[in-house]
Amino acid sequence: MPQRGLLTRIHLDGWLLLGLGLLLATSLLVVYSASGGNLAVVERHAMRIGFALVLMVLVAQVPPRQLMLVAPWLFAAGLLMLVAVLLFGTIGKGARRWLDFGLFRFQPSELMKLALPMFLAWLYAWSPLPPSWPRLLAGLAAIAATAGLIVVEPDLGTSLLIAASGLFVLFFAGLPWRFILAAVAVVIAALPVVWHFMYDYQKQRVLTFLNPESDPLGAGYHIIQSKIAIGSGGVWGKGFTHNTQAHLEFLPESTTDFIFSVFSEEFGLWGVGLLLLGYMFVVGRGLVIAWQAPDNFGRLLGASLAMTLFIYAFVNIGMVSGLLPVVGLPLPLISYGGSAMVTLLIGFGMLMSIHTHKGLMRAGGG
Amino acid sequence: MTRSPLQDQVSRQLFKRRLWWAAGLMTVAFAVLFGRMFYLQVSLYDTYHAMAEGNRITIEVIPPERGRIYDRNHVLLADNQPVFVLEVTPEKADVEAGLTRLSALFPYKFDTDRRDRFAKWLRHQKPFKHYLLPFDLDETEAARFAARAWQFPGFRLTTRLKRVYPYGSLTAHTVGYVGRINEMDLKTLDPTRYQGTHVVGKSGIEKQYEDRLMGQPGWRQVETNARGRVVRVLEVHPPKKGEDITLTLDIRLQQKAYELLRSRPGAIVALEPETGAVLAMASSPGYDANLFVDGISLNDYRSLLKDPRKPLINRPIAGVYPPGSTIKPFVALTALEHGIVSRRYSIFDPGYFEYSGHTYRDWKRWGHGRVNMHKAIRESCDTYFYQVGLKMGIDMIHDGLSQFGFGHRTGIDLPGERRGLIPNKAWKRAALDRPWYNGETVIASIGQGYDLATPVQLARATAILANRGTQVVPHLLNAPVAPEGHIEIRSRRHWEAVINAMVAVLHDPHGTARKAGQMILPWHMAGKTGTAQVKGLRAEEEYDESKIPKHERDHALFIGFAPVNKPRIAVSVIVEHGGSGSKAAAPLAAQLARHWLELNHVPPERGRRTR
Repeated sequence: MPQRGLLTRIHLDGWLLLGLGLLLATSLLVVYSASGGNLAVVERHAMRIGFALVLMVLVAQVPPRQLMLVAPWLFAAGLLMLVAVLLFGTIGKGARRWLDFGLFRFQPSELMKLALPMFLAWLYAWSPLPPSWPRLLAGLAAIAATAGLIVVEPDLGTSLLIAASGLFVLFFAGLPWRFILAAVAVVIAALPVVWHFMYDYQKQRVLTFLNPESDPLGAGYHIIQSKIAIGSGGVWGKGFTHNTQAHLEFLPESTTDFIFSVFSEEFGLWGVGLLLLGYMFVVGRGLVIAWQAPDNFGRLLGASLAMTLFIYAFVNIGMVSGLLPVVGLPLPLISYGGSAMVTLLIGFGMLMSIHTHKGLMRAGGG
Repeated sequence: MTRSPLQDQVSRQLFKRRLWWAAGLMTVAFAVLFGRMFYLQVSLYDTYHAMAEGNRITIEVIPPERGRIYDRNHVLLADNQPVFVLEVTPEKADVEAGLTRLSALFPYKFDTDRRDRFAKWLRHQKPFKHYLLPFDLDETEAARFAARAWQFPGFRLTTRLKRVYPYGSLTAHTVGYVGRINEMDLKTLDPTRYQGTHVVGKSGIEKQYEDRLMGQPGWRQVETNARGRVVRVLEVHPPKKGEDITLTLDIRLQQKAYELLRSRPGAIVALEPETGAVLAMASSPGYDANLFVDGISLNDYRSLLKDPRKPLINRPIAGVYPPGSTIKPFVALTALEHGIVSRRYSIFDPGYFEYSGHTYRDWKRWGHGRVNMHKAIRESCDTYFYQVGLKMGIDMIHDGLSQFGFGHRTGIDLPGERRGLIPNKAWKRAALDRPWYNGETVIASIGQGYDLATPVQLARATAILANRGTQVVPHLLNAPVAPEGHIEIRSRRHWEAVINAMVAVLHDPHGTARKAGQMILPWHMAGKTGTAQVKGLRAEEEYDESKIPKHERDHALFIGFAPVNKPRIAVSVIVEHGGSGSKAAAPLAAQLARHWLELNHVPPERGRRTR
């Protein structure tokens, strides 16, 4: 048994803590600036971060073996709740996404961000990789069911991202390349069909994405203003709190979905570079943890959680810089807002658990 | 999970290859993002830099004009008037110095106390937005400011529409008032819709119909110069004005009601029996609603709060009083309908009633002698109702009174209505966890004990009686409201018997309100006096006044409707600590009803006989 450090003994990972700490500190600064110096907003944000970190530490104490035991049940519960949302959910912002438990409102799609990859990792943990075709098909069915239930809420953005986190598990489990290439071909061929079934506001977003200048007052306004904010930041940025575009309220949702525009206006290209390196560091550390994991469950879950952070960051930054259509998604670990932050940090708690329970795993798991 | 090491080795190799692919994918993707950012921030820097500098196209919100409120004859009760106001942008102003100078310039509008409160509030707002100062200026004052404008960088003179209540204190409780949007309001309001709007309905009709009165904001796209002045308007989307609201209130009758109350604490509610429309609704003393529009000064607010007459309470809907003898007609009707007594049934009243060791006194010490129902109502004989109430039992009394709406909110379109209370056995068991005693039935049957009612409940019950059973819903909005239902009548003669007795209250030489009866001639009115004991009541369901010894005089009550056969108005009057209902309350109701009948040129009834 190797020498175990203090952090390992309390089941935390120093490298991940360092990366997360830097990103969260950045988050507080940018939220302060983007909210126009509103300390009340920063305070609320800090409290949420604190809460999420506590949950992360608690989850890190749960051995992967137990995560594996609850995975199928959690997934089943999540599916049931998604169905319940469609039947009795409360409506907010034009979509039926929440279950109202009286004391609090709960968004089952948040639970699924973790439950789906956990379930898939559980599914492929029992036999050597790559999994058999029946298991692969079962996994695809689980992904399709989850994404399908969320897309009809309607919440296209979340649905696609949850599908992505599930597909990552399949990818890491060894989904054959020919299958992957075939699927990509099918998706491209199916685009016109998807277009047909999209809601008007979703179509509008895609159209605006393709040509923002076509609608400078409506949906395109956001993207144009966001690009002006980013571009005018230049290499060195305008300096902390000097985000004129957000100040003058040209920029919408400056503390949530479009916080990256504020960040890049203030800190310029070098700041963007550092932020991207920060994300790469955290994702990379997650992949290393997966690499060192002793069993398939830890490997698949860890790698998928790490790549989920990557895909969130990529989609948000791509969106605000005009590379991808606007799907209404926060910048992970930076944007103001609660539930996404909590889910992400619980995911990191799982990664830490995978990394620090190896000894016990060997002793118990054989 | 047992498997051979070889298989695990295969798994691990496959997985590690996939990890490399993933790392590669991430690196490529982030490189693409970085490339994109390089393109935006370096290659296109000049373009975007110029656009940011020239980013002077702003969108300004145009707040909608709030809907006006009229009375039934189209008299304005709530209007919008253009006034001058000052606007401050904290970022561009020396806030402390500016505010101090302003309070020196307009000390009567902006005293140091209000200045400090505003400065404190402003510190928590966004520095780059503009905020209205909490007072307005007339033309001379605006000119005075304009001459010194150079001393006030970041402050700007502008105009806006201010809510004005021409009848200030006459409508303060019903029409209500608007006030500045505060933190609490922000939790429930749609921020997009209220952008650019500074006030929201806080009470009365203004609150009840906020959504209709508010309207929808518009916006204009303007090009501004470097100093923020508008150079060119590019596009205008006009706001949608809020809906005008017409009330059923008649301001002339409302005025009369306040005159009659003469600032004594009390309430008058007048309904149109046929529809439930509120004709007048006075809560006395009144206060000037205009004080609240810009945020009331601390001193004014304190004196309103400290006034022992409690002007802020909306008595017609939120004042609960023991209904006293005014419930006797309803009890009598219930007893008749259930066959507990007949119209001819009589008792002998020696001036008291003894029951299980207690003596319950009549208000008339030497008693009324032989009393049947007609006489019992006419002269408000307590002993008769003690005995009849006991025969009925509390649950029957409760159910009967419930049909007339006692113990239930009337559903009037005003916020803050209270329910009042009519007890029954189940209620006492649930609320106090004690069994019901028959002695309590005795006092409940003359409207004392636990019984509590609001003036609007009394007026509504009177209207239902006037309608001979149709349960109308009191309302202020001038739009038809369907009746809630109809009380099943076994015998119409029961109703007329009770109503006849109520006519005798005013028009018989022995009636308790015979003096008031003279006031309404040549019309006839049916009514009932009430005198509610204040002393000895359960303190927690009463006003604070009742605790003060010098205010231990009884509340004076009266309910009535006129004309008797085709009722046009149903009234309830309460004068707190006014003494007896016959002296203090009945004359007010008679004069108010008479005023209404005169205003509407209602022909006098012929041939009404009283016994």
